[in-house]
Amino acid sequence: MLVNSEQIISALIETIQMVAFSLLFSTILGLPLGILLVVTRKGHLLQNLPFFTVLNGIINIFRSVPFIILLVAMIPVTRLIVGTSIGTAAAVVPLVFYAGPYIARLIENSLLEVDPGVIEAAEAMGATPGQIIFKFLIPEALSSLVLALTIATIGLVGASAMAGAVGGGGIGDLAITYGYQRFDTVTMMITVAILIVMVQGLQSLGNIAAKKIRRR
Amino acid sequence: MIEFQNLKKVYESGGQQVAALNGIDLKINKGEIFGVIGFSGAGKSSLIRCVNLLERPTSGSVIVDGHDLTSMSVKEVREIKKNIGMVFQHFNLLNSKTVFANVAMPLTLAKVSKDAIKKRVQELLEFVGLADKADYYPDQLSGGQKQRIGIARALATQPSILLCDEATSALDPQTTSSILQLLKKINKEYNITILIITHEMAVIREICDRVAVIEAGKIIEEGTVFDVFSAPKTQTAKNFVSSVMNDQIPDSIKEIIQKHEGMQKVFRINFVGSSAGQPLLSDLAKQFDIHINVLFGNITELQGTPFGKLIVEFQGSDKEITRALTYINQKKISIKEVTAHAS
Repeated sequence: MLVNSEQIISALIETIQMVAFSLLFSTILGLPLGILLVVTRKGHLLQNLPFFTVLNGIINIFRSVPFIILLVAMIPVTRLIVGTSIGTAAAVVPLVFYAGPYIARLIENSLLEVDPGVIEAAEAMGATPGQIIFKFLIPEALSSLVLALTIATIGLVGASAMAGAVGGGGIGDLAITYGYQRFDTVTMMITVAILIVMVQGLQSLGNIAAKKIRRR
Repeated sequence: MIEFQNLKKVYESGGQQVAALNGIDLKINKGEIFGVIGFSGAGKSSLIRCVNLLERPTSGSVIVDGHDLTSMSVKEVREIKKNIGMVFQHFNLLNSKTVFANVAMPLTLAKVSKDAIKKRVQELLEFVGLADKADYYPDQLSGGQKQRIGIARALATQPSILLCDEATSALDPQTTSSILQLLKKINKEYNITILIITHEMAVIREICDRVAVIEAGKIIEEGTVFDVFSAPKTQTAKNFVSSVMNDQIPDSIKEIIQKHEGMQKVFRINFVGSSAGQPLLSDLAKQFDIHINVLFGNITELQGTPFGKLIVEFQGSDKEITRALTYINQKKISIKEVTAHAS
């Protein structure tokens, strides 16, 4: 094996940082977009078809670009925001552009699952659109939103490993530079195992949290 | 008070225009329980949704307590809505919140103080008989209990109008009856005007004061429950009435009439109010030389007045039967001969 345990641990920390920060920022981006995708559609609270159509199109465009291409295409933007295009912080930018629209879609789906009758009841009570979103829609969809974010987090773990390819650091970087390019099978096995454990852990965590929210 | 003036609602669907409401004129008085009955697709759902502008009418006015809602701003309508409670067929409770939080919701939205909310919710839960379920979640309750919570929620802001959108259609007959009794109690104790839409005539019979029959977006018949039940004018109203009053002569009885035709006469006697209390048949048997055979009967109570029909067979000479008929007519009881072909 060409790497020592210290290298693995620091790569693990880098991956966790990348996933955590990109999850945070892409949720900040994706949550309002997801809400807007729901409430501006036809027949909904704040129907605005031109806005909906444009937003829907932009999200589809970002969702259709393969991440590896987005990674490279985003380099100028990354330089503008972070100042460099190499390293963990730089990897967060393309990850957010990748996961933000993805999260918007997932949140849209969760919110659409809410019984329209509940919204109708809210309207009958004289609730404002803001009250309907924050006191009815989101609480009713919370458990499903948590599962959606779990899916997004796992997607980010996978994408962050790819970000290693452009010098983003983390477990993926280790797997590519040692496991792949230097034919170090043991490192490859260890990195893959770490990723498997991470994904399993995250999914279980998400399931438990969603269950807890649903059955209080 | 609720008033609809030439109310129209047109939906656009696939380039085609579908009129759900086709010029409704209707007035619902303060403090009454008013029922609107119709088959699915008749427009009754659209009608009730126009009262709190869940649906905006295409034209015409909706006047609630003197305010024309269609000419008010969105904000003003939101305020008016606090005076209009609504109960739904599928309850529409928040499954993520406790019974307490569900009932408290309209008050939370109105930014009522926590203490006042607590007091009011307690009061409401006691009123609907579910004070012990405050910390439960809706999916731990039965359908009837959920509807009680829905009613408590609708009453939270002390509205003067309660809209019931098929409020009992998802419930079994026994639960339906208990929910209807609760609505009656609300109407009596708080003098709240209740508008009910339903496709079940039994609901109308049990609690409504007046009823309107809606078909193809129009009110085709309107009157007190007693009048519509005792003398329905339109075919649709007749169908609804017979769905709960069973005034059709059963086939087996028709066969009997057919077999005996010529040998005796069969009559339908309508009892209304005090005449239902008279021992008419035994009077007839004693005073005239005829035998009376009751073939079929149905007596019920409408708004506290007995009402019913009897199909009877008179056996005897033509002369005696004619005398008996004269006697009945003097008593102002409606009687009509029935043949095997007519019912």
